[in-house]
Amino acid sequence: MEKFFQRNFAGYAFLAPWLIGFFLLAIGPILASLYLSFTKYNIVRPPQWIGLDNYTYMFTFDDRFIKALQVTFSFVVISVPAKLIFALGVAMALDKGIRAIGWYRALFYLPSILGGSIAVAILWRQLFNYDGVVNSVLRLFGGNGPYWLADPRYSLWTLIVLAVWQFGSPMLIFLAGLRAIPQELYEAAEIDAAGPVRKFFAITVPLLAPVIFFNLVLQMIEAFKSFSGAFIISGGSGAPLDSLLFFTVYLYEEAFSFLRMGYASALAWVLLLIIAAFTAIAFWTSKYWVHYENERG
Amino acid sequence: MSRLNRRTFMTRAGAAASSVAVLSALGPQAFGQDKQIRHFWWGNPERDKRTFAVIDLYNSKNPDVVVSGETLGFADYFTKLTTQIAGGNMPDVIQQGYGVLFEYIANGAVVPLDDYVGKSLDISKIDQSAIDAGTVDGKFYALSIGANSHMAMYNTRLFEEAGIAIGTDFDPYGYTYDDLARIGAQIKEATGVPGTDDNTADYQNFSDFIVQKGAKLFNPDGTYGATQEIVEEYWSIWQGIREAGATPPGPESATVAGVSDLSQLGVVTGKSAMSYLWSNQLVGAQGLMQDTLGAAMYPNTPEMIPGSIVQPSQFICLTRDSVDPEAATAYMSAFVNDLDMTAILGLERGIPSQVDVREALQPNLSPAEALSVEFFAGIQGKTAPLDPPPPSGSNEVEQTFERVAVSVLLGEKSIPEVAADFLAQAQAILARA
Repeated sequence: MEKFFQRNFAGYAFLAPWLIGFFLLAIGPILASLYLSFTKYNIVRPPQWIGLDNYTYMFTFDDRFIKALQVTFSFVVISVPAKLIFALGVAMALDKGIRAIGWYRALFYLPSILGGSIAVAILWRQLFNYDGVVNSVLRLFGGNGPYWLADPRYSLWTLIVLAVWQFGSPMLIFLAGLRAIPQELYEAAEIDAAGPVRKFFAITVPLLAPVIFFNLVLQMIEAFKSFSGAFIISGGSGAPLDSLLFFTVYLYEEAFSFLRMGYASALAWVLLLIIAAFTAIAFWTSKYWVHYENERG
Repeated sequence: MSRLNRRTFMTRAGAAASSVAVLSALGPQAFGQDKQIRHFWWGNPERDKRTFAVIDLYNSKNPDVVVSGETLGFADYFTKLTTQIAGGNMPDVIQQGYGVLFEYIANGAVVPLDDYVGKSLDISKIDQSAIDAGTVDGKFYALSIGANSHMAMYNTRLFEEAGIAIGTDFDPYGYTYDDLARIGAQIKEATGVPGTDDNTADYQNFSDFIVQKGAKLFNPDGTYGATQEIVEEYWSIWQGIREAGATPPGPESATVAGVSDLSQLGVVTGKSAMSYLWSNQLVGAQGLMQDTLGAAMYPNTPEMIPGSIVQPSQFICLTRDSVDPEAATAYMSAFVNDLDMTAILGLERGIPSQVDVREALQPNLSPAEALSVEFFAGIQGKTAPLDPPPPSGSNEVEQTFERVAVSVLLGEKSIPEVAADFLAQAQAILARA
């Protein structure tokens, strides 16, 4: 034992900042929130153990919890595939050997860097305002845009567009994946007279599957956790009519507007379990459609 | 060195120990001779400017004290305060509003001031009504920094352009919802700007309306006071005003439902000629506008039962995390009594509750401040008595109202349906709280 430490001391010393941060700032609070989820806690008074009450209330009485799930699932189910398809499309276009590709890559990646920022969410609100840029452009073409943000039929779509616009990081990963596909395969396919569609589905998709899978899991988790856009655009309340009541926004509101820290902790754990379940499902299905080159099949 | 015997050892150890004790007693004075006081408030640009100027003045008058100011918009203020409570690092002096204050007192975050009254804290010139408003169970907790009431602010230029004479066509202290529909449409006709904001999702107006209908906001047993009829009537009245063309379109109003930011109000953005606020926001709103604002009460029904109340707009309070309550209460005392400091604050937080301060301010009022004073004279005898503090959960009822009322604005569901939904939710919230 002693020897082990002597030999590895330097390694642990260098790891220490991360280890301390992980245990103090991540694991500690996570476990604390698990405990709090079984309590009634308003910060000012000490937590009070109430067993499963938070969870039973959530699943039996809480209409807004159901609404938050609906909104979040709609967002994930639409925005993730749309973003991946868009990112793949752009990556394939860039893979064609355009001049100054570095510039384009940087340019397309820019929204992803800005993505989570409050400034972009505020900008988005301005764009989609009734008197905003989007409607002004529509008016040029004689159309009359709706109240994008005030009308619950459209409000979620503005956030989906915002999410798709931030396609930069999956695009870069796709681009790297495309570069790794051997050109001979395409050349061979061309000799066999395969068209572009055939080449895409017979070569690109199967060989890119591990990358697609990686992006899918990452983006899905990201989408479930999405917060700042909905928070800013809905003014922190999920308005209009709870159409932007993302799970995280609801959680935040319960915690910081209504001081139900115990209930909010329970919500956080439910979200964690949902994300874990979906990730597990993705991994389970992956063995049917994702094949790795070094696998024997 | 002589041999250390038991006796000298004890003496030396004793001396060493006592010198440590002396050092530690001197410590705070010796090493950080300035007393640190943190003052936290919610504000707007105008209020922040004035409050920081007051802090600078206090610091220059009291070289041994360093007051530092912290400010946020109303929407984020309580979030930050909550996390500070959790962290045990609340500022010494915080701003509170009537309503939430009582939850903080019940939770022990705000502590009584009785021990400091007559010593570091002078309340001899404060109105008795203001002291009563800050007293709970016989203990004095909160120092009122201004009286407040609901105020409708209108753009005088637009009213003039539409040929509406104040006093004859429009009585700021006695107009009805019907008058408002007529005048609002007339302004829209003449100027193109809708005459009034749409208050369908405005909880302040709604809470006035409940009282105007002879009901109470909260029943003595803690249940919600509004009935299905009252909610339906309120939304129908505003639907009538909207259909008369006096307000912006429903979806437009839905975008600002529940927004508390002054810069987004209809009267400030120019999207309407009249917005509904608190009287102490007049100075701040006027600061954001070119046109001159006029002041009126909220609309009433033909029966003219008073619905608005006069209440302390804000308090300053001492928190349980204060390290030096003596110094903090001395600062609080100056904040409400010092004539140089209150001259800078003016009426921005409401009408001061200190009699000398009011008199000193009188000759130097800005036009907006003079208007506030005139407004308070005008509403005398036209306001309702102050209710006991609202039960916990009232804040959530308010947000629920703002949320569900949007479906009335958008015409998504019928008014009776939404009203029933709102009342069911309100009762559930109050039962759960």
